[in-house]
Amino acid sequence: MAYHLSIFVENRPGKLEKITKVLADNGINIRAISVASAGEFGVVKLLVNEGDRAFAALREQNITVSKRRILVILLPDSPGAMYDLLVVLSEKNINLEDCYGFVVERKKQAAVVIEAEKYPLAEGVLKEKGYKLLSDQELAAI
Amino acid sequence: MYWEENLETMNEGALKEMQLKLVNQTLVKAAEAPFYRNISGKKLRTLEEIRELPFTRKQDLRDHFPYGFLRTDLSEAVRLHSSSGTTGNPTVVFHTRADIENWTNQVARSMYMIGVRPGDVFQNTMGYGLFTGGLGFHYGAEKIGALTIPIGPGNSKRQIWFMQTFGTTVVHILPSYALRLYSIFEEMSVDPKKDTKLKSFIIGSEPHSEELRREIEDLFGVRAYNSYGLSEVCGPGVGFECSCQKGIHLWEDYYYVEIIDPETGEVLPDGEEGELVLTTLQREAMPLLRYRTGDLTRVLPGKCECGRVHKRIERIKGRADDMLIINGVNIFPIQIEETIMRTPGVGKNYLIEVKTENFMDKLYVKVEVDKEIFEGTLAALTGLQKKLTEELKAEITVTPTVQLVEPGTLPVWEGKAKRVQDLRSK
Repeated sequence: MAYHLSIFVENRPGKLEKITKVLADNGINIRAISVASAGEFGVVKLLVNEGDRAFAALREQNITVSKRRILVILLPDSPGAMYDLLVVLSEKNINLEDCYGFVVERKKQAAVVIEAEKYPLAEGVLKEKGYKLLSDQELAAI
Repeated sequence: MYWEENLETMNEGALKEMQLKLVNQTLVKAAEAPFYRNISGKKLRTLEEIRELPFTRKQDLRDHFPYGFLRTDLSEAVRLHSSSGTTGNPTVVFHTRADIENWTNQVARSMYMIGVRPGDVFQNTMGYGLFTGGLGFHYGAEKIGALTIPIGPGNSKRQIWFMQTFGTTVVHILPSYALRLYSIFEEMSVDPKKDTKLKSFIIGSEPHSEELRREIEDLFGVRAYNSYGLSEVCGPGVGFECSCQKGIHLWEDYYYVEIIDPETGEVLPDGEEGELVLTTLQREAMPLLRYRTGDLTRVLPGKCECGRVHKRIERIKGRADDMLIINGVNIFPIQIEETIMRTPGVGKNYLIEVKTENFMDKLYVKVEVDKEIFEGTLAALTGLQKKLTEELKAEITVTPTVQLVEPGTLPVWEGKAKRVQDLRSK
């Protein structure tokens, strides 16, 4: 199973900087980042190469962080790949709570990160359709 | 010019004599309430002897909730008013029919004093309901025979429409709301001086400066009068400015007035600033003895040109306690604190900020997200923010803006940390 880090931040200059400094100081690499804002505050999702260590380092700095279970799906980096994936999920009436992506290898391979409300069902459906899901170890090795 | 000439202009000696008689009658009545049981048999020979009696505090009203101060049978009470909230018990006040009549008379006397007569149209923009500002003035205005419009607060365009359509002459309004209302007049291109028949504003329920009063008078082309009252002894009508606008006459046939040093409790001479202490002289359901209002003021020395004997106090300077007045609503920080403490998902540290926005008071409550409970979704955070907003609104009746902040960014919980910042423009 894989997870990313979800962090509460106030929507003010310097707040995100503080978080990334903790990661930089600890030599942790960020694979992907997404921000959702509700005006004066928001939630930052961070996908890193060493989740457990990043989690501990952030908590030590009194940062409000939690781990969220995700599915990381490898897709071909080509038109229509995302559409095909979403068809699979929506056919099973699976709602996405969060979704972002990053390129693994230019023009060849991309990864999509999703938080799904029906986690085991989503995982099962995707595996059945032949999608490759990345584990924590595989993520760290990218 | 006078509503009750003999009671308003009697000489000082006669007033003192009357007060002594009324105080002693009140002592007999008060002793019938559980809280005052131990004063039974007490009789004063002079008014000054009232200093031998202990003070009654707001906390006493809370501690002896709900019937500890009620001296009559509940069936004799015809009205109940209450402060906001349920934290540490609200302040609940009962009124008999006679209490309502006396209260009505105080308001009628006050309004008559500033020239309200049958034929006037009185628009009451104060809140009706448990808050005494609405109903208190409503009854007083009707008693005089003015056409009374119980419009209540808010909806500025509608307020202006009523003023224009029905020729409103007298308005009861929060001073801060008066400024806000003027901006709506401007937006609608209505000139209150030319396009309305407004002549008097009654402003009260929140402290305000002389400058603000003059500004309201200039903007609307009216005379604005300062109103004083508190729900513990009835509501509005405890005191009122006369047309001289030089201090608030406290109706001394209804209240015995003292100013004390809030620290030592020592009674201060006229002219010195301290906390206003009132003893009710005609209350039936809930007489109060030496009640500490928490309001800071002073008695103005000398006689008023209007010819009334009743003492005048200066406009209220502030509070002896930590009570906040937000758009006329009385709030204690403890109500906010306890609401935060019982709401899961937020930490113990908090900060209350009061600011002026668009002429009105705006309450901000900053709380830290509890990092042990944080589960990582934006929806949970906005849900938490909404829940705390609703919980606070239910407790204090004012809708705050709840701001979620990161743990460790607010003053640390020690009980004594300064948790209220009043940043309002004076």
